Amino acid sequence: MRGSDEERLDALFRAFRDCPTPEPSVNFMPTLWARIESRQRFSFSFRRMAGAFVTAALALSVALGIYLAIPQSNQAYYSQTYIEATANSNLNTADIVGPVLSDLSDPGR
Amino acid sequence: MLVDFEVIKRAQTGDSAAFNEVVLAYRKRVLGTIARSIARPEDVEDVAQEVFLRLYFSLEQLRTPEVFEPWLYRLTVNAAYDYLRKQRRRMEFRMSDLSEQQVIMADAVAGGKIERDVQYHKKIRESVDSLLGAVSEADRILLMLKEVDGLSLKELEKIYKVNENALKVRLFRARQRVLKAFGAASKGKSPDNAG
Repeated sequence: MRGSDEERLDALFRAFRDCPTPEPSVNFMPTLWARIESRQRFSFSFRRMAGAFVTAALALSVALGIYLAIPQSNQAYYSQTYIEATANSNLNTADIVGPVLSDLSDPGR
Repeated sequence: MLVDFEVIKRAQTGDSAAFNEVVLAYRKRVLGTIARSIARPEDVEDVAQEVFLRLYFSLEQLRTPEVFEPWLYRLTVNAAYDYLRKQRRRMEFRMSDLSEQQVIMADAVAGGKIERDVQYHKKIRESVDSLLGAVSEADRILLMLKEVDGLSLKELEKIYKVNENALKVRLFRARQRVLKAFGAASKGKSPDNAG
């Protein structure tokens, strides 16, 4: 049974092999070239777009670099040190930490 | 080789006439392989054009013209495989397209003998197509190349870049699955009596 199935399957494959191959139509080559050209156009415009994008990114980077390199005229300079600035800002505030008392005789205080 | 290495080398440099020569030499073979792999005559030409389109844009990657034929087979197999995968996704739509195609084909056929032959070949294709549904798209193409196109294991090894033993195992399993489907189908209706 198995053997006969094998033979019949081989016969089916042989019959399939003998089925006529479709002939290429007269438009085969023109359509192929049209598809090639269409793909070329697409990849060309994509490449051009990518090129334009890279150029724009480069120009932007250069402009940003120049902008950062030029010293800004309205930049605020601090002449004080950090300690001095902190001390000045705390001039008018009450001391949070009071003086330490060294008298330990009265534990109630 | 159906063309000289020189023609392939010229096509690699962008010579359109040489590329045309390559297409004209190989298109019949490519159409045959695709027709047997996808078993849908109405789409064969479209897939074949896709093969040559891929060939055109990747020809410069071919290092030696000596391996051109296995390389073209690989492109053909890949295009057929891509088609079959898309086909599976579009199955419901395709069923309606097919019935329409069948009506058009039936209308176009004239004369008794031609009609009988066309119907016979159509039934053979449908039987094989339905049997090959039992295996994956990749195995289906592999089985077709071996059983129908008659490629040797050595040739398949060059196309798939897989060792012979692995191919033998894949082929054996695929054939067993198809055989099982064939046995099951035979119980219902003999494909031999289809024509």
